[in-house]
Amino acid sequence: MDEVISVRVESLTKSFNRGSEKIEVLEELTLNVVSGEFLALMGPSGSGKTTLLNIIAGLDIPSSGSVTVGKNIISSMSETKLASWRTRHVGFVFQFYHLLPVLTAYENVELPLLLLPMTKAQRKIQVMNVLDLVGLTSRIKHLPGQLSGGQQQRVGIARAIVTDPDLIVADEPTGDLDSKSADEILELMTILQKTLGKTIIMVTHDPRAASKAQRILHLEKGKLVKDSRNFSYVSGNVAN
Amino acid sequence: MNKFEKYVLDILDDPVSLGAVVVGMIIILGMVIFASSYWFYFRLMFLNLRRNIIRTALTSVASIVLVFVVTLVWTILWFLNLVTSEKAKDFKAIVTERWQIPSQMPYAYEASLAEGSPANEGDYKIDKNKDAMTWQFYGATIDPEKKTRDNIIFFFCMEPMKMTKMMDGMEEYSATQIADLEKLCDEMVKDKRKIIVGKERLEAINKKIGERIKLTSLNFKGIDLEVEIIGSFPEGRYNQSAILNRDYLNDSMDAYNRQNPNSRHPMTNKSLNLVWIRVPDKEVFQKVENQITSSASFTTPAVKVETASSGISTFLDAYRDLLWGLRFILAPFILATMALIIAVAISISVRERRKEIAVMKVLGFTPAQVLFLVLGEAIMIGAFSGLFSSFGTTMFINNVVGGIKFPIAFFPVFLIPLDAIWWGPAIGIGTALAGSFLPSLSACRVKVSEVFARIS
Repeated sequence: MDEVISVRVESLTKSFNRGSEKIEVLEELTLNVVSGEFLALMGPSGSGKTTLLNIIAGLDIPSSGSVTVGKNIISSMSETKLASWRTRHVGFVFQFYHLLPVLTAYENVELPLLLLPMTKAQRKIQVMNVLDLVGLTSRIKHLPGQLSGGQQQRVGIARAIVTDPDLIVADEPTGDLDSKSADEILELMTILQKTLGKTIIMVTHDPRAASKAQRILHLEKGKLVKDSRNFSYVSGNVAN
Repeated sequence: MNKFEKYVLDILDDPVSLGAVVVGMIIILGMVIFASSYWFYFRLMFLNLRRNIIRTALTSVASIVLVFVVTLVWTILWFLNLVTSEKAKDFKAIVTERWQIPSQMPYAYEASLAEGSPANEGDYKIDKNKDAMTWQFYGATIDPEKKTRDNIIFFFCMEPMKMTKMMDGMEEYSATQIADLEKLCDEMVKDKRKIIVGKERLEAINKKIGERIKLTSLNFKGIDLEVEIIGSFPEGRYNQSAILNRDYLNDSMDAYNRQNPNSRHPMTNKSLNLVWIRVPDKEVFQKVENQITSSASFTTPAVKVETASSGISTFLDAYRDLLWGLRFILAPFILATMALIIAVAISISVRERRKEIAVMKVLGFTPAQVLFLVLGEAIMIGAFSGLFSSFGTTMFINNVVGGIKFPIAFFPVFLIPLDAIWWGPAIGIGTALAGSFLPSLSACRVKVSEVFARIS
């Protein structure tokens, strides 16, 4: 079967100046991510993982090179266009959940939908669907402060997928969770990839989290040093 | 016509008030449409303000206090501006002594001045029964042994029936209040010893309606009068004033002169202080002014004719520095302080929420939407505090306190105009926009990658 490229990164360079010193965060990085792939980005701190993730997600602008997600060359988009593009095409999962503390679980998940031309009824159906998927329909009226870390992260995931994006990016999604909650979140992400066919790019330091991915990229000093297939992922799923 | 109908007509007559009302309506309508169409934004703004109730409450209280002060200051300036603005039609003019303050003219001038001194065919003749009023000032104490500020009464001596027709400020009273005053005036005509005294003056001299008092004159030495208090003015600018039938003063002076044929009263030829005349337009005013000033009848002393607004302006010259300070230092300073208070509150709030703003941008909120949210929060505080303050100030000062007691020129008290209810939200929204502009700009410029880099 032909593989469809979901994310295409070409000769990507990102640098910034600290005083008179020029710091190269990413150097001539080229990468393709296939549609429906679960990719883990690993590497030591300062290797450029999060910067790469931010650029792919349209949160940062490359110094040179291009990034294409789906059919959109996002590296040349304006900030306003990028904002609109992100709403429809990218879902974000953060390490520290970053839910708005004044809004309930339901309202946090509804937030991105408010930017789309949808009626209240349509929004409600979509929000309840994703909250059902993450198993939180009984917590819709709870504020983030009334939820556990694992539950907050599940709300975060529901918020990320509520607009039905093609691409989900996750920055250390299990970094702030205990192992049980981390397993639940990773399981959920696996379901998103396998059942809903989402492309997932996840930054992690945790080898156990990375083991859930199909493919693992290692970055060091802004360069891609290793691109490996996770065969245990495949065999594990076959066995399942 | 009731008070509301009169208020509506006043607004329709005044382009500034009409503009303020239209702008106010548009803002309110906009807020209603916004709240119903973008309920989520409205709710989010409200929730964000509620998350630090103490800060929001303190900012609101500061705004309320400052709007209160600005409303008081602007009321005085607004009123003085109103009375010193030249009117084009149906306005009053004052005839006074040309070279001396206070003006003291012979009473003999009255008959001709009140008609505009028509001497030739074609001259304009004022209907003195309808469009002219004389004022003679009579100051007296009720305790000649111990003259204090509290036992002195200052009277406008005039024809009682002219009071409701010619005196300024009568338009502030309702039709019922005017009718009651006219009944009192009628009694004053029937019995020239009857007087009307303002509420505060009555309280100061510790007398009640129905009491008879003996007046010992301060400026008409030897012309002491016995009077009966039959009523008071409605709450407002005449709280400290008193009205006496001029006939009583003039008859008493005549009697004095008859009893003392060899030493006429020193005020005999100085008892007329002002003559008010009403003219239909500027052309007539100039004509009447020319008739009076060119008349040989008014040379010793000479007289001058001014529009009422010009006369009041001249009188207010003594307060020029004070008014300048109110207008150009105090009011702008307060507005700037309000903007700064809101700026500080919103800046702190934005700084605290940089992470949340970054998350919203990640989710797809554009910089303009973030700007709108932050500005909206400031506007909510400003509009609410401003409306609450101006409405509360107007109701409290006018209905409880009885006006702003700031005696300046011959205006002892200032009532806050109903227009002031619009001033509050306008000041609140204006200062909120000015104060929150930079913090909002800073919020919409939040760089997502930098915020998250700092967190990680």
